[in-house]
Parts: sequence; C-alpha cells; structure tokens
Amino acid sequence: MILSERATLVDVAFAACTVLERAGETAVLCGGSAAAYYVPDLYQSLDVDFVVEVGAAPHVVDRALATLGYARAAEGHYRHATLPYTLAFPIGPLAIGREYITSWRTDRRDDLLLHVYTPTDVVRDRFLHYWAWGDRTALDVALAVARTRAREVDLDAVRDWTERELAADASYDASRIGRFFTLLRKG
Amino acid sequence: MRRDDLRPAVFGTATRDRILVRLALSENGLHVRELARQIDSSANAVHRVVIALERAGIVVSRPVGTTRIVLLNRRWYGAVELRALLERLAHAYPEVVERARTFRERPRRIGKPL
Repeated sequence: MILSERATLVDVAFAACTVLERAGETAVLCGGSAAAYYVPDLYQSLDVDFVVEVGAAPHVVDRALATLGYARAAEGHYRHATLPYTLAFPIGPLAIGREYITSWRTDRRDDLLLHVYTPTDVVRDRFLHYWAWGDRTALDVALAVARTRAREVDLDAVRDWTERELAADASYDASRIGRFFTLLRKG
Repeated sequence: MRRDDLRPAVFGTATRDRILVRLALSENGLHVRELARQIDSSANAVHRVVIALERAGIVVSRPVGTTRIVLLNRRWYGAVELRALLERLAHAYPEVVERARTFRERPRRIGKPL
C-alpha cells in the first residue's frame, strides 16, 4: 500500500490499522490522535497512537508497517521517511482511567478500516488528561468533541464514569468535573 | 545499595522497587538525578529503569528546563492499587522513607533559615 506525500493523519491511521488487521492484529486508535480524527479542524496531531488489543510480536508490526514505508526508530516509535506522522504503540490494555475499553467503533473507507475510540471514550480520555494533569488543551479538545459530536456522546455515561473514578481515587479534584460540564453548557 | 540486599524485589530488582517506592512518596515528582541520589543509585541506572516504566505506562515524565520530572502515572489503570502496594512496600525500605521525609518538595522563600 502506498501512502501519498499529501497523506493526512486520517489516511495514515486507516492504512496502518488495515495492514495490521491483515496481519492478524487489532489496533485501536486512541489518545489525542483519536480526538484529531473526530475534530480535525479544531485539533491536529502528528502522533498516531494505537493500542494493539492483544500484545503483538514486534516483528509482525514491523513487517506490516514496512509495507507503508514505516520503520521502527530507536525510541520504539515508527517513522516514515517523508511523512511527519509518527506511529506509536503504547502498551495496553486499552483503558481510560480504571476502566478497560472492550468495544470501539470501526469505520470503513473503500477497502480500508479503522478501529477507533468512540466519541464518548475520546471525551472521557481527553477529560481525564485534564483531570489528572491540569492540561487545558486536553480540556478544550474534550469540549470540542462533546460539542461537535453531541449526538454521539453519552454525557450521562461520562458523568457516571467520573463518579466511579472519584470513588476510587479521592485525590482527584472534583471541581474539574463541574468546570467541564459548565463550560459545555455555555457552548 | 548492597548487592547482597535480601529485600523482596517485587518489581524485579531492588532498584525498581526503590524508584517506585520513592515516587509513591513524592507529591510533585522528582528529576532523575535527585531520584538517583535519594535511592543511592546511579543516574544512568535510574534513567534506564524510568524509560522502561514509562514505556509500560506506569510512570510519566515531563520536561522542566534541561531535565525531566518523573512521577507515577495517576492515569494508569492500576494506579490506585499500585500506590497502595508501594505504601506497604515502603516498610521494606525505611532508608528511602527517611530520606523522603527530610526532602523538601514545597517551595521555600529565598533567605528563609532552614
């Protein structure tokens, strides 16, 4: 499979997910790159993060990604000779906070496919980044996805999940939940 | 650190145990050199372990000036249980606990007597 010089993050994500799937590995787009998939006009990323559902042998991933022109670099990421996007495979399992992610969305484009966090999980993931580290950019991205994909984001599920996280780790700042929902209402 | 140290090495080596225990005792994280000093190890050895733990998602680091501050990843799915285990494990490393107790992480006004 050839990636054009003008390939976008989404093009790379579809291609990488597809060649891994054909190699027998299920890789799910997560983190900031999943957010960039849903709100490309509002948030961009040069890192394409996949979690492979069951730990894949590195040589399988190497071989699959080599067909796209990606090679493993010293720091463990995969780099392309001309494209700026880096492929990374954080160690799984897929989880947002304490909760494992066992289902995701699969989008198709011609004969390519992409496994990706649902919009609700992207909101949870980006909000957790803000909640844990105070990262305002992550808060803005969570809000952008919640607004842009309002029909697909289950805000009750987000709120219930924050309560479960808070019950497990009381050191989280509960006021940040209120801030998220207040800003979301203000639009 | 003595090579004949008979403590548990729950995380594979005594250095890993000490690094994780020390990080569990830290509110704001530590840079690698200070972390090495606190657990009586070399900066290179600590750096190697930190990279492995970061790849596993157990710790995170952020750049501050020319160094990196390392801390436990509270986003990790087992963070609560890990912290509880490390608080128990700290009893096996009283010298690490003692150094942590006397190490000041909070800001201190310039010129204020110790």
